[in-house]
Amino acid sequence: MDIASSRPLVKNVFPVRTLLSQGSIHILLLFLAIIAVLPLFWSIFASFKSYKELVTSRDFFPHVWTLGNYDEIINKNGFGIALINSIIVSSVVTLSTIATSSAVGYVFARYNFPGRDKLFMVLLSTMMLPFAVVLVPLYVMIVGLGLTNELGGVIVVALWSTFGMFMMRQFMQSIPSELLDAARIDGAGELRIFAGIVLPLSTAPMAALSVFTFLGSWDNFLWPLIVLSSQEKQTLPILLNGLKSLYWTRYEMWTAGSMMTVIPVMILYVFASKYFIRGVAMTGMKA
Amino acid sequence: MATIQRVLPRQQNKEKRSDYRAAIKKTLRKPQFWFGLMVLGPTLIWYFLFLLLPMIRSAWMSVVAYQIMDASASQFVGLGNFQKLIENPLFAIAMRNTLTWAGMTFLLMLPSSLFVSTALSRVRVGRNLYQSIIFVPVVMSLVAIALLFRMLMDPQTGQFNQILDALGLPESKWISDESSALPVMVAIQVWKSLGTYVVILTAGLLNIPHELFEAATVDGANDRQMFWRMTLPLLGHTLTMITVMMFIDGVQAFTLPSVLTAGGPGTATFMGNMLIYQEAFSNLRFGTATAGAILQLILILFITRVLMKAITPKWSY
Repeated sequence: MDIASSRPLVKNVFPVRTLLSQGSIHILLLFLAIIAVLPLFWSIFASFKSYKELVTSRDFFPHVWTLGNYDEIINKNGFGIALINSIIVSSVVTLSTIATSSAVGYVFARYNFPGRDKLFMVLLSTMMLPFAVVLVPLYVMIVGLGLTNELGGVIVVALWSTFGMFMMRQFMQSIPSELLDAARIDGAGELRIFAGIVLPLSTAPMAALSVFTFLGSWDNFLWPLIVLSSQEKQTLPILLNGLKSLYWTRYEMWTAGSMMTVIPVMILYVFASKYFIRGVAMTGMKA
Repeated sequence: MATIQRVLPRQQNKEKRSDYRAAIKKTLRKPQFWFGLMVLGPTLIWYFLFLLLPMIRSAWMSVVAYQIMDASASQFVGLGNFQKLIENPLFAIAMRNTLTWAGMTFLLMLPSSLFVSTALSRVRVGRNLYQSIIFVPVVMSLVAIALLFRMLMDPQTGQFNQILDALGLPESKWISDESSALPVMVAIQVWKSLGTYVVILTAGLLNIPHELFEAATVDGANDRQMFWRMTLPLLGHTLTMITVMMFIDGVQAFTLPSVLTAGGPGTATFMGNMLIYQEAFSNLRFGTATAGAILQLILILFITRVLMKAITPKWSY
């Protein structure tokens, strides 16, 4: 063994280089982290400032704290109702997506029937479809169903999720068939096998899928903008967008409205960030 | 002989038919069949009603002069809607803006997300914490972000110009200037969705067996060689996928440009999806709107094919 080949090992034993590079990585990541959250914190504090202070003072924290902005957007602009609408739409969409995705994913992962994989590929290929292609006919259909300006019109187009089905199928393929067959021999019904064995084993991807779906539904803009026309039916992003023309430059209203829209998901994120990130990391599995 | 020959097929037929019948009976008795039917039945109905049928109607709408009051009276006009759409001066503008937007977002997003995820994959303590903080803008509503940046970029009272002032730099008009509006919007989009790609890429990077890099180090490879010759090729599939994702998302931009600038100033940030929306819901011209949507679909299929062809063979391991 010559000396040259042992050199890299010596480098690893001597930690200064490692410490230096770790230190610079930390500085870089810290900088990025600050850029990522600074606008959020700025607007949280800005939403408690009066208009005059917001446009004149450079200070980060309010000199005089006021709840007036929130009072006005909730009582005058219907943000309280919009919050409830958003919660209803996102919860129903999430529950439905979880139920349909896990059931369909299970059938495609663990049942055998002719044409199964072809049918799944057809369903999967709809993920490529831009929403604009179905936008107009879907609107005509919603008008025909009498669902315009109804939360149902927003919900009904999101009851199934192709991505969700794909994700659950991917996971459920790893559930051993022997387990299911053993339950069948013991006389368990199919529904019981699904609800009692398959679902409890799939809680991790279900949690990831549910926060992922909730977030997507909460932020959805184009479709609710078209379907929901009156203020008392609108979800938060649509009502928030309306503030732009309603309060041309009353930025304190904008910040309060934005925080009403952002904070509920942020609270969810603080408790379930693991699942948010796992859900996104799983989109990488498509490859 | 003849009779036998005639009888034999008939018997076979009978046997076959009873085979089928037995198979069907057997299937019907299976509890799996009923559970599968219960699940797939509604699924297929929903996909038919809310995806397949709208797609077919979209294709039909794009080639007729759509009558909103009486759809069945719509006359076939061939490619007339496509012609009308392309002759609209906004079409070329929207097309150029959309492609510039998608290209610029990609060129900025891919290197920065690779850079950040490389840093994240190398850091030894606090990786999850950093990752979850960098992910925060992804969780924020895009409409709120658009309003927030509109406010921060107000040329008179906005914080961004105050910061420039404090640093002694010249003020910028940000999104109120035709030449800077689109690049500024690209920067906001990258800030907003960087976390998504960072998470995907970091997961990909951490999946690469560590031993490979150790072996390369022993063989005397330097950092740059390892990045270009090992990390990138081993990330192959992930890179292809996020490139496609970035372009598909980019081509469909709507929320940010419509809330932040409403396509302005002038038409500097007017996008393809905004043209489709405007044609359909402001001008009530469903034909040209669906024609635009179908062109968008073709564009997406084309881009996806080209990207898959261009990237996959070189990097796949």
